[in-house]
Amino acid sequence: MQFHAKDVSDVLANKTFIDTVIVPVISIDFSETTMIQSSSAADYITNLTNFIEHQFRGRILLLPPMTYASGIDQTAQLAQMQEKIIAAGFKHVFFMTSEHEIHKLNEQFAVIWLPAIPLESMDNNMKQKILEDQLAKVIPLFTDKWANQN
Amino acid sequence: MSNNRVSRRQFLNYTLTGVGGFMAAGMLTPMIRFAIDPVLQHKGAGDFLPTSQKVAELTDTPVKVSFSFEQVDAWYKSEVSAMAWVYKEGDKVIALSPVCKHLGCTVGWEGSPSHKNEFFCACHAGRYTKDGGNIEGTPPQGPLDQYEVEEKDGLLYLGPIIPNTLVKK
Ligand code: FES
Repeated sequence: MQFHAKDVSDVLANKTFIDTVIVPVISIDFSETTMIQSSSAADYITNLTNFIEHQFRGRILLLPPMTYASGIDQTAQLAQMQEKIIAAGFKHVFFMTSEHEIHKLNEQFAVIWLPAIPLESMDNNMKQKILEDQLAKVIPLFTDKWANQN
Repeated sequence: MSNNRVSRRQFLNYTLTGVGGFMAAGMLTPMIRFAIDPVLQHKGAGDFLPTSQKVAELTDTPVKVSFSFEQVDAWYKSEVSAMAWVYKEGDKVIALSPVCKHLGCTVGWEGSPSHKNEFFCACHAGRYTKDGGNIEGTPPQGPLDQYEVEEKDGLLYLGPIIPNTLVKK
Protein backbone atom coordinates (compact mmCIF):
# COMPACT_ATOMS: atom_id res chain seq x y z
CA MET A 1 0.00 0.00 0.00
CA GLN A 2 1.11 3.54 -0.63
CA PHE A 3 1.31 6.16 2.05
CA HIS A 4 -1.77 8.07 0.94
CA ALA A 5 -5.12 8.45 2.63
CA LYS A 6 -7.00 5.82 0.66
CA ASP A 7 -4.43 3.06 1.04
CA VAL A 8 -3.66 3.92 4.63
CA SER A 9 -7.29 3.46 5.59
CA ASP A 10 -7.05 -0.02 4.02
CA VAL A 11 -3.93 -0.62 6.07
CA LEU A 12 -5.70 0.32 9.27
CA ALA A 13 -8.61 -1.95 8.41
CA ASN A 14 -6.31 -4.91 7.63
CA LYS A 15 -3.54 -4.56 10.17
CA THR A 16 -3.11 -8.26 10.70
CA PHE A 17 -2.43 -8.79 7.01
CA ILE A 18 -0.35 -5.74 6.20
CA ASP A 19 2.51 -6.31 8.61
CA THR A 20 5.55 -5.13 6.67
CA VAL A 21 6.90 -1.63 6.04
CA ILE A 22 9.43 -0.60 3.41
CA VAL A 23 11.36 2.61 3.96
CA PRO A 24 13.38 3.78 0.97
CA VAL A 25 16.55 5.57 2.11
CA ILE A 26 18.04 8.04 -0.33
CA SER A 27 21.05 10.30 0.07
CA ILE A 28 21.17 13.60 -1.75
CA ASP A 29 24.57 14.58 -3.00
CA PHE A 30 25.11 18.09 -4.33
CA SER A 31 28.72 17.89 -5.41
CA GLU A 32 29.02 18.77 -9.06
CA THR A 33 30.69 15.54 -10.05
CA THR A 34 28.22 13.18 -8.42
CA MET A 35 24.90 15.02 -8.34
CA ILE A 36 23.68 13.32 -11.51
CA GLN A 37 24.60 9.92 -10.13
CA SER A 38 22.81 10.75 -6.91
CA SER A 39 19.62 11.71 -8.74
CA SER A 40 19.79 8.59 -10.86
CA ALA A 41 20.15 6.41 -7.77
CA ALA A 42 17.22 8.18 -6.13
CA ASP A 43 15.11 7.56 -9.22
CA TYR A 44 16.09 3.90 -9.26
CA ILE A 45 15.18 3.25 -5.62
CA THR A 46 11.89 5.10 -6.07
CA ASN A 47 11.00 3.03 -9.12
CA LEU A 48 12.03 -0.25 -7.59
CA THR A 49 10.23 0.27 -4.29
CA ASN A 50 7.07 1.26 -6.18
CA PHE A 51 7.37 -1.85 -8.27
CA ILE A 52 7.69 -3.99 -5.14
CA GLU A 53 4.71 -2.24 -3.60
CA HIS A 54 2.69 -3.05 -6.69
CA GLN A 55 3.52 -6.76 -6.40
CA PHE A 56 2.98 -7.04 -2.65
CA ARG A 57 0.54 -4.29 -1.89
CA GLY A 58 -1.60 -6.57 0.25
CA ARG A 59 1.19 -7.11 2.72
CA ILE A 60 3.51 -4.11 2.45
CA LEU A 61 3.16 -0.46 3.30
CA LEU A 62 5.64 1.67 1.34
CA LEU A 63 6.64 4.89 3.07
CA PRO A 64 7.79 8.04 1.29
CA PRO A 65 11.61 7.99 1.10
CA MET A 66 13.83 9.13 3.97
CA THR A 67 16.23 11.54 2.37
CA TYR A 68 19.36 12.98 3.92
CA ALA A 69 22.38 15.03 2.93
CA SER A 70 25.02 12.54 1.88
CA GLY A 71 27.76 11.73 4.37
CA ILE A 72 25.68 12.41 7.45
CA ASP A 73 25.25 9.47 9.78
CA GLN A 74 21.71 8.08 9.79
CA THR A 75 21.89 5.46 12.53
CA ALA A 76 19.74 7.46 14.92
CA GLN A 77 17.16 8.35 12.28
CA LEU A 78 16.77 4.76 11.17
CA ALA A 79 16.49 3.56 14.75
CA GLN A 80 13.82 6.12 15.59
CA MET A 81 11.82 5.35 12.49
CA GLN A 82 12.01 1.62 13.10
CA GLU A 83 10.97 2.03 16.69
CA LYS A 84 7.88 4.02 15.71
CA ILE A 85 6.90 1.51 13.03
CA ILE A 86 7.18 -1.43 15.41
CA ALA A 87 5.33 0.47 18.12
CA ALA A 88 2.50 1.00 15.63
CA GLY A 89 2.10 -2.77 15.42
CA PHE A 90 3.96 -3.67 12.23
CA LYS A 91 6.16 -6.74 12.41
CA HIS A 92 8.81 -6.20 9.76
CA VAL A 93 10.74 -3.13 8.67
CA PHE A 94 12.97 -3.10 5.60
CA PHE A 95 15.18 -0.18 4.63
CA MET A 96 15.83 -0.20 0.89
CA THR A 97 18.76 1.76 -0.41
CA SER A 98 21.59 1.95 -2.87
CA GLU A 99 23.85 3.89 -0.48
CA HIS A 100 26.93 2.14 0.89
CA GLU A 101 26.87 4.10 4.12
CA ILE A 102 23.38 2.73 4.84
CA HIS A 103 24.37 -0.77 3.79
CA LYS A 104 26.96 -0.73 6.58
CA LEU A 105 24.14 -0.55 9.10
CA ASN A 106 22.77 -3.94 8.10
CA GLU A 107 23.79 -5.61 11.35
CA GLN A 108 21.43 -3.38 13.23
CA PHE A 109 18.62 -3.11 10.68
CA ALA A 110 17.13 -5.14 7.87
CA VAL A 111 18.81 -3.22 5.07
CA ILE A 112 18.25 -4.32 1.49
CA TRP A 113 21.05 -2.86 -0.53
CA LEU A 114 20.99 -2.84 -4.31
CA PRO A 115 23.49 -1.14 -6.58
CA ALA A 116 21.76 1.64 -8.50
CA ILE A 117 21.07 0.93 -12.15
CA PRO A 118 20.72 4.01 -14.36
CA LEU A 119 17.17 3.69 -15.69
CA GLU A 120 17.14 7.03 -17.48
CA SER A 121 18.92 5.67 -20.52
CA MET A 122 16.40 2.86 -21.04
CA ASP A 123 13.15 2.52 -22.88
CA ASN A 124 10.10 1.26 -21.06
CA ASN A 125 10.45 -2.41 -21.98
CA MET A 126 14.03 -2.49 -20.81
CA LYS A 127 13.14 -0.70 -17.59
CA GLN A 128 10.38 -3.18 -16.92
CA LYS A 129 12.78 -6.06 -17.48
CA ILE A 130 15.41 -4.66 -15.16
CA LEU A 131 12.87 -4.02 -12.42
CA GLU A 132 11.47 -7.53 -12.80
CA ASP A 133 14.97 -9.01 -12.50
CA GLN A 134 15.71 -6.97 -9.40
CA LEU A 135 12.37 -7.87 -7.92
CA ALA A 136 13.11 -11.55 -8.40
CA LYS A 137 16.27 -11.00 -6.33
CA VAL A 138 14.52 -9.37 -3.41
CA ILE A 139 11.38 -11.53 -3.24
CA PRO A 140 13.14 -14.29 -1.25
CA LEU A 141 14.30 -11.72 1.30
CA PHE A 142 10.68 -10.90 2.05
CA THR A 143 9.21 -14.37 1.78
CA ASP A 144 11.94 -15.83 4.04
CA LYS A 145 11.17 -13.29 6.73
CA TRP A 146 7.46 -13.96 6.39
CA ALA A 147 7.90 -17.74 6.40
CA ASN A 148 10.08 -17.71 9.53
CA GLN A 149 7.52 -15.83 11.47
CA ASN A 150 4.46 -17.92 10.65
CA MET B 1 -56.83 40.94 -47.56
CA SER B 2 -56.59 42.99 -44.44
CA ASN B 3 -56.70 39.97 -42.07
CA ASN B 4 -53.63 38.49 -43.75
CA ARG B 5 -51.58 41.47 -42.90
CA VAL B 6 -49.14 41.03 -40.11
CA SER B 7 -49.62 43.62 -37.45
CA ARG B 8 -46.65 45.30 -35.80
CA ARG B 9 -47.38 43.38 -32.57
CA GLN B 10 -47.53 39.99 -34.32
CA PHE B 11 -44.37 40.74 -36.25
CA LEU B 12 -42.49 41.51 -33.07
CA ASN B 13 -43.91 38.41 -31.41
CA TYR B 14 -42.82 36.12 -34.20
CA THR B 15 -39.35 37.52 -34.51
CA LEU B 16 -38.68 37.61 -30.81
CA THR B 17 -39.90 34.05 -30.30
CA GLY B 18 -37.73 33.00 -33.22
CA VAL B 19 -34.62 34.73 -31.93
CA GLY B 20 -35.33 33.56 -28.37
CA GLY B 21 -35.72 30.03 -29.62
CA PHE B 22 -32.38 30.13 -31.36
CA MET B 23 -30.76 31.56 -28.26
CA ALA B 24 -32.26 28.88 -26.06
CA ALA B 25 -31.20 26.19 -28.48
CA GLY B 26 -27.73 27.68 -28.61
CA MET B 27 -27.47 27.42 -24.86
CA LEU B 28 -29.10 24.05 -24.45
CA THR B 29 -27.28 22.10 -27.12
CA PRO B 30 -23.88 22.14 -25.44
CA MET B 31 -25.49 21.39 -22.11
CA ILE B 32 -27.32 18.36 -23.43
CA ARG B 33 -24.29 17.24 -25.38
CA PHE B 34 -22.22 17.53 -22.27
CA ALA B 35 -24.70 15.52 -20.27
CA ILE B 36 -25.03 12.64 -22.69
CA ASP B 37 -21.53 12.74 -24.12
CA PRO B 38 -20.35 9.62 -22.28
CA VAL B 39 -23.23 7.80 -23.95
CA LEU B 40 -22.23 9.00 -27.40
CA GLN B 41 -18.60 8.01 -27.03
CA HIS B 42 -18.30 4.73 -28.69
CA LYS B 43 -16.77 1.77 -27.01
CA GLY B 44 -15.10 -0.70 -29.24
CA ALA B 45 -11.82 -1.82 -30.65
CA GLY B 46 -10.26 1.39 -29.46
CA ASP B 47 -10.41 0.19 -25.87
CA PHE B 48 -8.39 -2.90 -26.59
CA LEU B 49 -4.69 -2.57 -25.96
CA PRO B 50 -2.16 -4.38 -28.11
CA THR B 51 0.27 -6.90 -26.65
CA SER B 52 3.20 -8.57 -28.34
CA GLN B 53 1.80 -12.03 -27.62
CA LYS B 54 1.07 -14.16 -30.71
CA VAL B 55 -2.21 -15.96 -30.22
CA ALA B 56 -0.92 -18.97 -32.12
CA GLU B 57 1.85 -19.45 -29.57
CA LEU B 58 -0.46 -19.70 -26.59
CA THR B 59 -0.87 -23.11 -24.95
CA ASP B 60 -2.92 -24.44 -22.10
CA THR B 61 -0.24 -23.27 -19.64
CA PRO B 62 -0.77 -19.71 -18.41
CA VAL B 63 1.93 -17.23 -19.45
CA LYS B 64 2.58 -13.70 -18.33
CA VAL B 65 1.58 -11.14 -20.96
CA SER B 66 2.65 -7.56 -20.26
CA PHE B 67 1.20 -4.45 -21.80
CA SER B 68 1.34 -0.76 -21.08
CA PHE B 69 -0.78 2.32 -21.47
CA GLU B 70 -0.54 5.99 -20.72
CA GLN B 71 -2.27 7.29 -17.67
CA VAL B 72 -2.87 10.97 -16.97
CA ASP B 73 -3.35 11.91 -13.35
CA ALA B 74 -4.00 15.65 -13.14
CA TRP B 75 -0.81 17.07 -14.70
CA TYR B 76 1.19 13.92 -14.27
CA LYS B 77 1.45 11.67 -17.26
CA SER B 78 2.90 8.24 -16.78
CA GLU B 79 3.36 5.01 -18.62
CA VAL B 80 1.65 2.27 -16.66
CA SER B 81 2.63 -1.36 -17.07
CA ALA B 82 0.18 -4.10 -16.37
CA MET B 83 -0.02 -7.80 -17.05
CA ALA B 84 -2.36 -10.72 -17.45
CA TRP B 85 -2.10 -14.50 -17.15
CA VAL B 86 -3.11 -15.89 -20.53
CA TYR B 87 -3.78 -19.43 -21.73
CA LYS B 88 -5.93 -21.38 -24.16
CA GLU B 89 -8.82 -23.57 -23.23
CA GLY B 90 -9.43 -25.45 -26.47
CA ASP B 91 -9.71 -22.61 -28.99
CA LYS B 92 -10.78 -20.05 -26.45
CA VAL B 93 -8.22 -17.55 -25.22
CA ILE B 94 -8.51 -16.79 -21.52
CA ALA B 95 -6.83 -13.82 -19.87
CA LEU B 96 -6.98 -13.47 -16.10
CA SER B 97 -6.12 -10.44 -14.04
CA PRO B 98 -3.24 -11.18 -11.65
CA VAL B 99 -4.64 -8.94 -8.93
CA CYS B 100 -5.42 -11.00 -5.83
CA LYS B 101 -8.98 -10.53 -4.64
CA HIS B 102 -7.87 -10.43 -1.05
CA LEU B 103 -5.76 -7.28 -0.76
CA GLY B 104 -4.39 -6.80 -4.24
CA CYS B 105 -1.02 -8.52 -4.44
CA THR B 106 0.08 -9.99 -7.78
CA VAL B 107 -0.55 -13.73 -8.01
CA GLY B 108 1.81 -16.16 -9.73
CA TRP B 109 1.11 -19.30 -11.76
CA GLU B 110 2.45 -22.21 -9.74
CA GLY B 111 3.88 -19.56 -7.46
CA SER B 112 4.28 -22.14 -4.75
CA PRO B 113 6.06 -25.45 -5.35
CA SER B 114 3.56 -27.27 -3.13
CA HIS B 115 0.54 -26.17 -5.18
CA LYS B 116 0.87 -27.33 -8.76
CA ASN B 117 -1.57 -26.20 -11.41
CA GLU B 118 -2.83 -23.29 -9.34
CA PHE B 119 -2.35 -19.56 -8.98
CA PHE B 120 -0.68 -18.62 -5.72
CA CYS B 121 -0.53 -15.34 -3.84
CA ALA B 122 2.67 -15.06 -1.83
CA CYS B 123 1.23 -12.39 0.47
CA HIS B 124 -1.04 -14.58 2.58
CA ALA B 125 -0.96 -17.90 0.75
CA GLY B 126 -4.11 -17.20 -1.28
CA ARG B 127 -4.85 -19.92 -3.85
CA TYR B 128 -6.89 -20.03 -7.07
CA THR B 129 -7.69 -22.77 -9.54
CA LYS B 130 -6.60 -22.34 -13.16
CA ASP B 131 -9.90 -20.72 -14.15
CA GLY B 132 -9.37 -18.17 -11.37
CA GLY B 133 -11.70 -19.71 -8.80
CA ASN B 134 -10.70 -18.90 -5.23
CA ILE B 135 -9.99 -21.96 -3.13
CA GLU B 136 -11.98 -22.22 0.08
CA GLY B 137 -10.00 -21.85 3.25
CA THR B 138 -7.55 -19.31 1.79
CA PRO B 139 -8.01 -15.54 2.31
CA PRO B 140 -9.44 -14.50 -1.11
CA GLN B 141 -13.23 -14.25 -1.10
CA GLY B 142 -13.84 -14.15 -4.85
CA PRO B 143 -12.44 -15.38 -8.18
CA LEU B 144 -9.79 -13.53 -10.23
CA ASP B 145 -11.19 -11.02 -12.72
CA GLN B 146 -10.93 -11.58 -16.44
CA TYR B 147 -9.89 -9.43 -19.38
CA GLU B 148 -11.92 -9.25 -22.54
CA VAL B 149 -9.75 -10.52 -25.37
CA GLU B 150 -9.52 -9.93 -29.10
CA GLU B 151 -7.26 -11.18 -31.84
CA LYS B 152 -5.96 -8.83 -34.48
CA ASP B 153 -3.37 -9.77 -37.12
CA GLY B 154 -2.45 -12.79 -35.05
CA LEU B 155 -1.71 -10.72 -31.96
CA LEU B 156 -3.54 -10.70 -28.67
CA TYR B 157 -5.38 -7.53 -27.63
CA LEU B 158 -6.64 -7.04 -24.11
CA GLY B 159 -9.81 -5.12 -23.37
CA PRO B 160 -11.70 -4.04 -20.27
CA ILE B 161 -11.59 -6.04 -17.04
CA ILE B 162 -14.78 -8.02 -16.40
CA PRO B 163 -15.92 -10.25 -13.54
CA ASN B 164 -14.87 -13.88 -13.89
CA THR B 165 -17.21 -15.73 -16.27
CA LEU B 166 -15.60 -19.18 -15.98
CA VAL B 167 -16.15 -20.08 -12.38
CA LYS B 168 -19.52 -21.61 -11.59
CA LYS B 169 -20.70 -21.08 -8.09
S1 FES C 1 -3.39 -10.39 -0.91
FE1 FES C 1 -3.46 -12.33 -1.86
S2 FES C 1 -3.84 -13.63 -0.19
FE2 FES C 1 -3.81 -11.68 0.76
